[in-house]
Amino acid sequence: MYRPQMPLWKRVLMSIAMVISTVWLIFPFYWAVITSLKKPADVFKLSFIPFLQFQPTLENWRTELTLRTKEVVGGLSTSFIVAVSAAAIALVIGTLAGYGLARFRYRRWKNKDIAMWILSQRFLPPAATVIPFFLMMRKLGLIDSRLALILVNVTFTIPFTVMILRDAFGELPLELEESALVDGCTPFQTLIWIALPLVAPALVSAAIISFAFTWNEFLFAFILTYSKATPMTVVIAGTQDTQGVQFWYVSTRMLMAVIPPTVLAMAIQRYIVRGLTLGAVKG
Amino acid sequence: MANRTSDKDRSRILFIAPAIIWLLTFTLFPLLYSLYLSLHGSRFLRVTHFVGLENYRMVLTDYRFWQAFRVTLIFVVSNVAATTILGLLLALLFNHPIKGIRLFRTLSTIPLFAAPVAIGYICMIIFYEEGGPINNLLITLGMNGINWISDPFWAKVAVCLADVWQWTPFAFLVLLAALQSVPDELYEAAALDTVSSWQTFIHITLPMIRHALVTVVLLRTVEAFKIFDIPFSLTNGGPGLATRTLTFNVYTTGLRDQNLGEATAIAFLLVIVMLSVTFVFFRIYRSQYE
Repeated sequence: MYRPQMPLWKRVLMSIAMVISTVWLIFPFYWAVITSLKKPADVFKLSFIPFLQFQPTLENWRTELTLRTKEVVGGLSTSFIVAVSAAAIALVIGTLAGYGLARFRYRRWKNKDIAMWILSQRFLPPAATVIPFFLMMRKLGLIDSRLALILVNVTFTIPFTVMILRDAFGELPLELEESALVDGCTPFQTLIWIALPLVAPALVSAAIISFAFTWNEFLFAFILTYSKATPMTVVIAGTQDTQGVQFWYVSTRMLMAVIPPTVLAMAIQRYIVRGLTLGAVKG
Repeated sequence: MANRTSDKDRSRILFIAPAIIWLLTFTLFPLLYSLYLSLHGSRFLRVTHFVGLENYRMVLTDYRFWQAFRVTLIFVVSNVAATTILGLLLALLFNHPIKGIRLFRTLSTIPLFAAPVAIGYICMIIFYEEGGPINNLLITLGMNGINWISDPFWAKVAVCLADVWQWTPFAFLVLLAALQSVPDELYEAAALDTVSSWQTFIHITLPMIRHALVTVVLLRTVEAFKIFDIPFSLTNGGPGLATRTLTFNVYTTGLRDQNLGEATAIAFLLVIVMLSVTFVFFRIYRSQYE
């Protein structure tokens, strides 16, 4: 970071720009929060500041969490179970493939061709596979099941886990693993006992990115589930039909859908750039 | 000895086999199945008989396809351009040790990890025509409210704004990371040579972050072609077909109208468009992995 002396007026302007950008960034969430705290009569009024401009109430949250537990808690728990399972499976597959690509040289195909092929999954539009996937799941009797959602989301997140872990393993010094191999460890044991503990931060980041992408996935969830296994994204899409423009309820659900992945993501600052660019830009 | 090597090879393949088998099963197989479906007729979600390229002919002569194609391209071009330019400006502006930058960076990750479908609904509240905050503000200021949802032009603008809001932080974070890895010495040398800041930008900064910039543009392009969640939740594809993207069309044709052949034909045409884009992407991106 280049640090020339900045004149005062420049620093003031910069602070103003920072404030404007922050407001722009926060505003939609802020609006959702205050809408969820408003009485229906206040929702369509232009009032920004609780207590000063309107009397906040927790009534909407109470209604959502006590009277509509089936929808809301059902959606949250499905999202949670699907996202954790998909992240766990994608992590196992990504650890193995990432280690393989970082440490071995494959002969029949070059390593970078295999990596590129795995990456190319992200470049395929989900629309290209959604209809055959629907038919496959119908044949297997998995429509409206959490398993179907887990299967599809592992597919979408494998590129992230493979690329993040390939980079992480590639940056480890070889000596430790070599001495383990000399001591008679198999490559698999070396991975588990020596390499894996050293890439713990990358593992956590890959897990959180997979979790968040699965949690936020909508197209497949919308098509594959309708009642028993609807995750939060599908529940909120149905809100409008049942609640109309009852924005005070809609906003509570939006917040419940948005909070878990965003809070988790804040924990992995260091890996966000690398993770989201699939390793192309090192943050 | 030869035997040992092949044993070793076999165990090495076991490391990448799960990933490859998984993607063959859940990506390549559905893709080929999709191709098969696009060449067949269907009735009530069941495949009937081979029809050759008939589905493609139907799709390519359907105004709804071309409308969705146009809408998708508009979104791709405007969203990619806007997010990249805004993100670059913010990254250049905040590439200084100023107060609050760490907090701002942390806050920037929030939109990236918020479900697009939820953002669409939050924006529906914000863009609401009768009593949403934006129109209320405009009316308070003595202007007319904007028909964000019911006007074909403004509905597109609303979708773009929501998408740009969500993804500008991506461009910002990636480009800021790239800017921060430019060695200080380069700037100091430029400062000594009393080069203007515009020239510093063109001759030093831009070449140093070119790779990150290309990555942002191409990753955003690929993702923008998939756009579905925000138009679905914010405008439900409307008014009329004004914000119906290609992915949206695959959904309506395949599962609402239950026309599997035409839906998969649209999907395949989308794949072809994206393949041509990613072909360029691969040629540039690839070098980053070598």
